[in-house]
Formats: sequence, structure tokens, C-alpha cells
Amino acid sequence: MKPEKRKQLFLIGIFLAILLAEGVTHTTMDLMKNQRPVAADLFLQVPSQENLRNYEENLEEGSWLVQNLRPVMQVLRFAVLGDLGKKAVAGREGWLFYDLGIQYLTERSQPVRPGESTPDEVVEAIVSFRDRLAERGIHLLVVPAPGKASVYPEMLTARALNLDHPVNVRTLQLLEQLENEAIELVNLFDLYQSEKNKDSISGPNNLYLIQDTHWSPKGMEMAAEKVANRLQELGWVEKGNTDYGLKEVPLSRHGDVIRMTQIPGIDDWYEPETIQASQVVRKESGEIYADDPHSEILVLGDSFLRIYEHDEPGSGGFVAHLARDLGKPLTSIINDGGASTLVRQELYRKPEMLAGKKVVIWEFVERDIRFGTEGWQDVPLPDANQEI
Amino acid sequence: MVFTSHIFLFYFLPFVLFVYYLLPRGRNFFLLCASYVFYGWWQPWFVFLMFFATWVNYLGGIAITRPGATGRSRKLALTLSVGVSLSLLGFFKYFMFLENNLNDLLALLGSENFSIYVVTLPIGISFYIFQSLSYSVDVYRGESPPVRSFFDFACYVALFPQLIAGPIVRYNTIADQLVERDHTVQKFSSGTALFILGFAKKILLANPMGEIADSVFAANSPATIDAWFGVTAYAFQIYFDFSGYSDMAIGLGRMFGFEFLRNFNAPYLADSITDFWRRWHISLSTFLRDYLYIPLGGNRKGTRRTYLNLAIVMLLGGLWHGASWVFVIWGAYHGALLCFERWRGKESLYNSLPRPVRVAITFVLVLFSWVLFRSPDIQQAFDFFGAMFGVLKPEGGSILLAAELYTRGHLVLMAICAAFAFQPLQAFDWAPTITWKKMVILILLFLVAIMMMFVQAFNPFLYFQF
Amino acid sequence: MGSLWLACSQEPNTGEDPEVTTRGSVEVTAQLVEIRGEFVNRADYDYAFVMKYKVLEVHRGKVDSDFIYVAHYNPEKPRDRVADERVSDVGGTLQKFHAGDIHRMALETPIDDYFMGGIINRYFEEYKGPIYWAVWTNPVSK
Repeated sequence: MKPEKRKQLFLIGIFLAILLAEGVTHTTMDLMKNQRPVAADLFLQVPSQENLRNYEENLEEGSWLVQNLRPVMQVLRFAVLGDLGKKAVAGREGWLFYDLGIQYLTERSQPVRPGESTPDEVVEAIVSFRDRLAERGIHLLVVPAPGKASVYPEMLTARALNLDHPVNVRTLQLLEQLENEAIELVNLFDLYQSEKNKDSISGPNNLYLIQDTHWSPKGMEMAAEKVANRLQELGWVEKGNTDYGLKEVPLSRHGDVIRMTQIPGIDDWYEPETIQASQVVRKESGEIYADDPHSEILVLGDSFLRIYEHDEPGSGGFVAHLARDLGKPLTSIINDGGASTLVRQELYRKPEMLAGKKVVIWEFVERDIRFGTEGWQDVPLPDANQEI
Repeated sequence: MVFTSHIFLFYFLPFVLFVYYLLPRGRNFFLLCASYVFYGWWQPWFVFLMFFATWVNYLGGIAITRPGATGRSRKLALTLSVGVSLSLLGFFKYFMFLENNLNDLLALLGSENFSIYVVTLPIGISFYIFQSLSYSVDVYRGESPPVRSFFDFACYVALFPQLIAGPIVRYNTIADQLVERDHTVQKFSSGTALFILGFAKKILLANPMGEIADSVFAANSPATIDAWFGVTAYAFQIYFDFSGYSDMAIGLGRMFGFEFLRNFNAPYLADSITDFWRRWHISLSTFLRDYLYIPLGGNRKGTRRTYLNLAIVMLLGGLWHGASWVFVIWGAYHGALLCFERWRGKESLYNSLPRPVRVAITFVLVLFSWVLFRSPDIQQAFDFFGAMFGVLKPEGGSILLAAELYTRGHLVLMAICAAFAFQPLQAFDWAPTITWKKMVILILLFLVAIMMMFVQAFNPFLYFQF
Repeated sequence: MGSLWLACSQEPNTGEDPEVTTRGSVEVTAQLVEIRGEFVNRADYDYAFVMKYKVLEVHRGKVDSDFIYVAHYNPEKPRDRVADERVSDVGGTLQKFHAGDIHRMALETPIDDYFMGGIINRYFEEYKGPIYWAVWTNPVSK
């Protein structure tokens, strides 16, 4: 055989071996697990468009090769190119950002993908909720939680150092629209900006966590204090007489942005972030804070309420600190990533949570204005007769 | 089915290759069946549409070459087959465009909108309609003999390697191969090499460039440098995506014994727009030349008519790419540049400058056209031009795009893309001979690209939409 | 050919196993009638997704009607890899959800007593009854 032909045959052989590797491995693994090979499913169903898509997805997702090589490639991509994948963006000095939060700030105002919301839909849903509550004599206070990149654009890119305009124009416009509709809201953007202006952005004074999408204990406590003050200014709530104190709890944790990358072993590449959180405790008994379903205040919100409250250290999040500032326990419904619609649907399923309420505080993260899960639907309140 | 999908790579292709080489005869029929499965995988019902278009042109060929057919009846048969084919293309590709434009017009006049149908565009229809048309025209012109077997003809129209996104294979370039073709180890191995190179182009270069382009084109008034970065990324994306597909198609064709013509020849090394169209999507430009420009009179009817013909060809070429005004303007832009260069004796305005400068200017002119090509509508295209020239200042958060764009990975890949796009050696010329060194490169590339495919989201080829 | 032969030669699968028969307070075999819309594809978000089932057989406990609404945790994941730190007591052998398929499931109700996260319920407007929480889900061959 000519050497030229030997090379050609060798290439063909390797190529065909690679093509066959997946089918053979997949079938063998299925048979070893005593299962029918997924490849055989093609002959068991009508070849409709939907069945073919499902078949294709099953083949790919059930593949031993895919499952085992995908993590290897993710690690390689991260190690060689510093690629964190589609969900995370590396900023400056080790700061990490959630890509969806950046997309919210950079993209055109009109929805780019299906399922995204327009500012008008947001306003409509909030106004409707406010009106429904008002019919039952309940006040609504809206608290949009700023996205990390809105507060710290300069930690995302050096281009934003000495920036002379806000990066979240769309959110500010929405706040204006809400004010025009006489919606009571708390503007945390101004609060954080003025705090940043007077303070250094480094060290433990950060208002947001470095590796996480959420606020730091300091940012959260400032928000709670501001909300408490606003409620009292409005005369909606009087200060209670439950005396709460604080118990300092140091935490060491990897942020959620690291988890979102889904890169195996990525925790080893990043030092955990050290945080000084504080649990809210009853001064008299030392008991940690607990919600009271009979409170006159109901707090609805997303993971900005969950952090430190349900996560470690527990009872040290926004709800507990707001309760401390108001001197009374609160009722809360926390729905991760679901503050736009799902948390109100949950309230609908739990009519007892609305019983005896005078005030509802509704927190949602800024990016949900566009990317809120299931959009901004008009959700009715639970039947008043079922509340008790 | 997509070449860069799990099902195609690991199941469909090895199965089809295995059965094809096992069959002592009836290989074209088997390839036809495989091609229908390949095409119907996405939307099974559209196979019937392709079958109908095939049947019409096959009958047209019979009528044209029928013994005793008069000139008039031959012309009538050609008109019918071309008319039916173009009607199918017109309906499926341009009906919604027409309806939307009529509705816009009615809205201007204060009338209510109407909706008749929602027409789904069958994937690859522009390619297979052009191919089946070329048969009727070639037979009419006497440039090709009529097919002897319907299955051979249907195999030509549906041939899966080049079915969905070209290259456009003209009947007269493949007629003999449908009857008899060689299957050699050399041909198979060069096909393998081309397929791997095309696969790697798509997965390792085009898809990451697409991510950059998507971010920039979705942005609300990007900064000037970001806009240029984004459109350059798109230029690389569309080149490596489409030329990658062509390489894979030609490579697959060789595995089954076919020899398709080259579709790209270092287009970004072109030093004028005329030169660019000799190097970019060659199968389309030669198709338009032979089946539209020359029948319109080409350059034989005077200078003014030549310009008009060029303009018509480029406008229709634009419209062929998509039913949208941006494609019409894209075609008009290229048509105007071609007319201008024709007026100067097929020379660009900057012909006297050194070649690297000519190449750079041509690339920038092409970049402008890619802005039109990529933008969803005219308004956004002009906004993007505004950003490129600093007329529209970045506002709000668009300044933050920098964090997404200028990552280590993006910069490295951009540099690699530039290195490959601006050099003359093409996969088409590199693949025919295999050395040990080339083999190591190819195998490594293939393995890395496959692993990368496992972590990438589904990402069809750009030209599927045409 | 091998696949075709294997496809035809397998024993029917009733989905029964020691997990599905002991977990939850309700156990049914039901046909997945509808998956409404697309699943949510966001890495930052764990959620339960409500799907509509037609009950074919009740093995344990009781259900209110022939059609039930069942929430599955992170439905895009295979059931044997769905449990995580937050929701540890779910599982099964089902790899993927397809409308028309039959599942044997161990269930709990009402969902809010068992799952605290986001519930994507696209039947909210039309159905206000109880939602079941899928604890264990196995495929059943037809």
C-alpha cells in the first residue's frame, strides 16, 4: 500500500471511529443499566415534529459522552480563556455579575426575546395590585431592589469610572411612571448612590456582595431602615414595642454567580467571600426572629428577601431587619426569582396570609422589570371570605 | 437536521455512510431517502413540498425534450415549470412580506389591517428551488441531457450534503456524476478533511463570534468602538458559518463520490467589490450571472442597460436572501458599488492604493453591508450606522457592553478569526492531500470542536433562514 | 436494525419500584396530557412547573378528579439528578417529560406545605384547585 493511501485510510478510520463512538457507548451504557437503548425509541413513536425534537434531545442529554465531556470542556474553557459561560460576567478586581442583569441595562427597551415584559405591562400590574388592595383598605409600598451593575457599574468595567449619567435610565423612567400613577415607592437607587458618594467602595462597606447578585448585609440593612422610615412617614405603620437586638454572625460563602457558571470545581478557583451578617433576636429571650402570620404587614419579594433570612445565618435578612426597625414581627412570602407574578399567585393560594393586613410591601429586583418570570400578570387577590 | 448536531454527527451520518457503501446498486435512491429524512427531520410535511417542486421540474424536462416538441411547446413547458417553482418560492418566502407591507400601507391610509395566512418558511427553499430551476433551464438550453431516472433527479434536488444552505449545485455540473461517479479513498479522505475543517469553523469560530455580534446588535446605542467590534464579529461569524457549511457540504459530497464546485475563495482578501463577488458565495453569483444577468442581456445591450441589469440582479439577489427591506437595500448597495466599479472599468475608486489598503477599504465597505444584513429593520440598521460614526452617543447602560465584549476569550478568538480570514490558504485547497501533520491537526480539531459542541446551545447555520 | 429489535423485545414497564410505592401520600399512574409552554431556562432559578395529567389508576390515597395538576421540580432535569441541597426528597427514573407519556408518581398535596420556591402555574387563570407536588416520578411503558 502506498504511504499516501495509508495516511488517507488512517484519517478515515479515526473519523469513522469518532462518529461511531457515541452510538456504541450510549447503547452499551443503556444495556448495562438494563434499559432499552434510547436510539431504539425512534421506532416506537410517530415521527411528528415534536417527537423527533424530543428524541433528538433525549439522545443528546442522555449521552454518557456528553455528560462526561461537557464538564471537562467547561473547565478547559474557563482555565484557558477565562470563559465563565453565558450566565456570568467577570468584572474588575474579582467582582462577578449576573449576565441577565447586564443585559437588562444594555439592551434596547423593546423586548428582544419572547416572554419579556414592557414597562407599561409592569406599571399596569402594579397599579392593578395597588387598586385591588386599596379596595380592602390595604396600602401598597413598592420597593424595587437595584441590580448590582446599576449600583456598581465601575466594578463591571473601567469604562464606567467617573460616569456622569446613570446606567439604568429605563428603571428611573419606570419609577417616574409609577410616581405619576401615585404609587408609593422607596427609591433605593438614590439611597445607594448617596451612600457611595460619601463612602469608599472598597472593603466591608460594599453595598453588594462581590461574587453574588444580591446586596450585602449593609446594603440590605440600609434598605430595611429606609423602608421602615418611609412606612412611618406615611403614617401607615406605628412603631411597635417588640425589642429586637442583633447577634453578629460571620459568614464565609461562595456567591450565587459562581454557582450559576455550573463549572465543576469552580469553587476551588475563588476564595469564599467573608461577610459579617447579623441575626435579629428578641432582646428579652434571645430567640431568633420569626415571622408572625397575624402581623398587620405583609412583605412580598424575591431572593433579595431570602438572602440572610432563609439562607445562613437565618433571620438576618431584610424581613427580620425591617421587623427590628419597626419593632414588630411581620408576615412574609418569599418567592425566589418570582416577584413579578409568582409571589402574588402564591398569595392567592394562601388567603390566610392577607388576613388583618394593613400594609403590603412588594420588593422586586430591577431586572425583573423586563425579565420577570412569567411576566407581569394581573393576579386577583384571594377571596376575602377565605382569609381567616 | 443540522450538520453540527448530535443526531447528525453520531447517528445519521455513520448510518448513511455504512448503508451507502454496503449497497451494490440503488445508491442514488438510498441517498434520496436519506435526504428526505434529513430534510423532514425538522418539519416532516415540507418534504411533500420539495417532492412537488421536484416533480414539476422533472415533468418540465420531459416536456421540453419530448421528441417532436415545437419551439413554442418547449418554451411553454419551461415557462410552466419555472413559473410554478417561482410561485412556490414567492408564496412561501414573500407572502408574509407582501401582507405586512400592505398592512403598513393600509395603516397609513387609516384602514384596518388584515391577515390571510401565517406562512411558515420552509427551510432551504431558496436553494432547492434554484437548483430544480437550473435543471429545466439547462435542459431547455441544451446544455444538459434530460435525466433518465426520476429518482436520480430527485436525488440531485434533495441531496442532503448541500440541500439546506448550498452551495447551489447547478444541474449541468453534476449531471454526469448522478449517472456515474468515482468512490476513491483519496476523495473520501479529502472529504473527511474538508468536513472537519468546516465543522471546526462553525463551532470554534462562527458561534463565539455570533455571541459577540448578538450582544452588540441587541444593545441600545452601543459605543462607536463596540459597534465596529460587533459588526466585525458578525463579518467573521457569517463568513466562518457559511464557508464552514460549504466546506462540510463539499466534504460530505466527496464522501459520497460527488464533486461540488468551490463556494468561497478568501473573500475578505478582495481588493474591490467586484473582486469580493468573485470570491463570496460563488455558486450564487455565478447562478445569478448565468440564469438572470445574461438572459437580461448582460453587457451586450449597451452601457446603460448593463448597469440596469447589474442593479436588477443585485436587488433580486438581496431579496433572495430574505423577504425584508434591509435585504433589498443590501442588494441595492452592492449593486450600486458594482455599477460604480463597472463604470470605472471594473476598478475600484481606490485601485491606485497599495493592495493591503485596498483590501482594508473593501472590507470596511463590506462591513457596512453586513450592518444591513444583520439588522432586523431599517431603523435599527441606521441607528447602528449612527453608533458606528459616533452620531448616536451611547446612552444608559450600553457603556457596560465593554465587560461582555472585551474578554480574554473573545479577544483571542477575534485575533484567530482575523488571522484566518485575511490569509489566502483555503480549506478547499488544503484538504486534498493528507500528511501526518495535517492528520494530527485534523483529529485534534475534530475532537475539540465536538467537545465544544457539547457545551454550546443549539445554533443553526445563518444561511438556513434563506 | 439492532435498535429496532431491542425496541420490540423489551418487557412492559409498570414504573413500580420501592420508592414510588412508599413515598408521598398519594400514588397514581397518570398520563401527561399537557405541558403548557416552554420550561424556564435560567441557571439562577429553581422552580416547580405545573403539568396537567389524566389519572389512569390510583394505587394509594385519593385524588379529587380525573384530571390533576402536578408540579415537578426543575422539570428540564432528569429525575435521578434533580434533587439538590434545597429540595432533597424528589427523584425517580424518568429522564424527560413528554406530553402523552404515562408516569407512575408518588405525590403530596397541597404543594405549599412541601415546596417553598417559585411555582410556574400556567393554569392559574382557569384552575384554582389543589396542586400536587411530585415526589417521585417513574416512566411507564405503554
